[in-house]
Amino acid sequence: MNTIYLMLAVEDVLSEMVARKLVEQSQKNYWVTQCLRKGGFGYLKSKINAFNKAASGVPFFVLTDQDSINECPPDKIANWLNQPRNPNLIFRIAVMEVESWVMADRKAFTKFLSIPLNRVPQDTDSIPDPKEFLISLARKSRSSRLRADLVPPHGATSKQGPDYNNQLTRFVMGDWDVHAARNNSKSLNRAFMRLEEFKPVTPE
Amino acid sequence: MIVSRLILKNWRNFRNVDVNLRERQFLVGPNASGKSNLLDVFRFLRDIAKPEGGGLQKAVKTRGGVSKIRSLAARQDPEIIVEIYLANSPDEEPIWHYAIGLKQETRGYRQPILSFERVSQGKKKLLDRPDSEDKEDPERLKQTFLEQINTNAQFRDIARYLESVTYLHLVPQLLRHADTLQGRQLEDDPFGQGFLDRVAKSQPRTQKSRLAKIEKALKIAVPQLKQLQFERDESGRPHLAALYSHWRPNAGWQREDQFSDGTLRLLALLWSLLERDSLLLLEEPELSLNAGIVEQLAPLIYRMQRQRRRQVLISTHSKDLLRDHGIDGREVLLLTPDSEGTMVEVATKVKDARALLDAGLSIADAVLPRTRPGNVEQLGLFE
Repeated sequence: MNTIYLMLAVEDVLSEMVARKLVEQSQKNYWVTQCLRKGGFGYLKSKINAFNKAASGVPFFVLTDQDSINECPPDKIANWLNQPRNPNLIFRIAVMEVESWVMADRKAFTKFLSIPLNRVPQDTDSIPDPKEFLISLARKSRSSRLRADLVPPHGATSKQGPDYNNQLTRFVMGDWDVHAARNNSKSLNRAFMRLEEFKPVTPE
Repeated sequence: MIVSRLILKNWRNFRNVDVNLRERQFLVGPNASGKSNLLDVFRFLRDIAKPEGGGLQKAVKTRGGVSKIRSLAARQDPEIIVEIYLANSPDEEPIWHYAIGLKQETRGYRQPILSFERVSQGKKKLLDRPDSEDKEDPERLKQTFLEQINTNAQFRDIARYLESVTYLHLVPQLLRHADTLQGRQLEDDPFGQGFLDRVAKSQPRTQKSRLAKIEKALKIAVPQLKQLQFERDESGRPHLAALYSHWRPNAGWQREDQFSDGTLRLLALLWSLLERDSLLLLEEPELSLNAGIVEQLAPLIYRMQRQRRRQVLISTHSKDLLRDHGIDGREVLLLTPDSEGTMVEVATKVKDARALLDAGLSIADAVLPRTRPGNVEQLGLFE
């Protein structure tokens, strides 16, 4: 099978790991050449038109979080782009945040935190604030290390624990399975299907 | 143990400071706001407490005398005060309290003298100088009790703690050319010339396990690096050697003088984090490191602290370092210069920074912009 070279553009390190894992578990033979991220969606939004243009040379997979419950994903890309979307630009939105995709592998995730399976809902896209929800689950974890790493300490202004990214990226790289997770998150399922069907268009 | 609170009066460019410190504390501020001067307080206390060649007189002298230490803004009241509280954790009651006041003799050699020295353990007062003997013999006030073995018996823990404070600001050029610069090594080696000696002096087993850990981390940061080891040359001088993958087999061993700046600084940083368990002062650890590595420094320091509860104070200008959302606002000290010297505040006490932090912004977005010089754009006029 032909190798498809792919550029990633994401909001943060956790999204990067999730995107890499999606690509890795896909049937297609993807090769990630580079991952662009600079902390937050502002960078993606400011560069999206450049990515769209560059996509005629190398396909792009852009992954971002949904900003609000009322936002409609097709509108988002239309609002961001000032030109028609290049067919080589795959633009996907995690509803509401990439954390909902992480939790969507309910079995592996609840095992990781050592909490009961039913703590994570069947449809993780329905969680209004997935990161906050994830941290509230971590608070109940039986592992003191995970509690300390994921949950912000008492009285802190930070919204996540001091080793949040590292713990979750390790989980995603390790036990997290796209095929299990896509059953519980429609937005993840659609993103993965898109990668499975994708055929790059080469310029004439 | 950690320094849980620091109080200063007239220390260098600080008029009055009273801040709580946590296990990991970042110092941010504009250029020349006094980040290094603040770190220097702890080196000053170490210089007083260290058993070999330490003492108050020496510590003041190496800093150029009382007049160099004293804040220029100190007019009516020229006394310098340095006060620390030591506790097991930032949220616990302090175990120790140590405080000294400094003045200069008004006549004669104008030597530094203590205006007071106080020590408490919990609520119990152990020392309150000047005592009656000091009044009879004022010469005694030229030395602290902290620096003297026969007077610090009751609070030797404080002396032990302070004497092992470590400062790291590795200058790769100095380490690389240590041989040619021999004899010019600064005392306590703040710039890492003697870094290799420190590695050489560690117990063989600890040395091996630390280097193995560092090798693992370096392999990720510097993918061409395959192996790291300690060795001595024919004349017995210590060296670090690394094996790099190379198209010519057996051509890949290189010694530290050929390491890149970034490799050397990362190596020294990791070694210091693994070493000892007292206070570590890091000066701009982000220098010569790739942004991707800098981004990971804050969580890396946290993970190292999990194993040995070593307090780390870090001065930094780095956006990449402070973008980590796991940094608590209480872990950041903001230095703001004004006409009367520099103010030091915990970031959460600064009203609008606090509002931004509560709204979920990182330190890089909520606090760092405040350290940018107000009219930096005018540098464009420089030609």
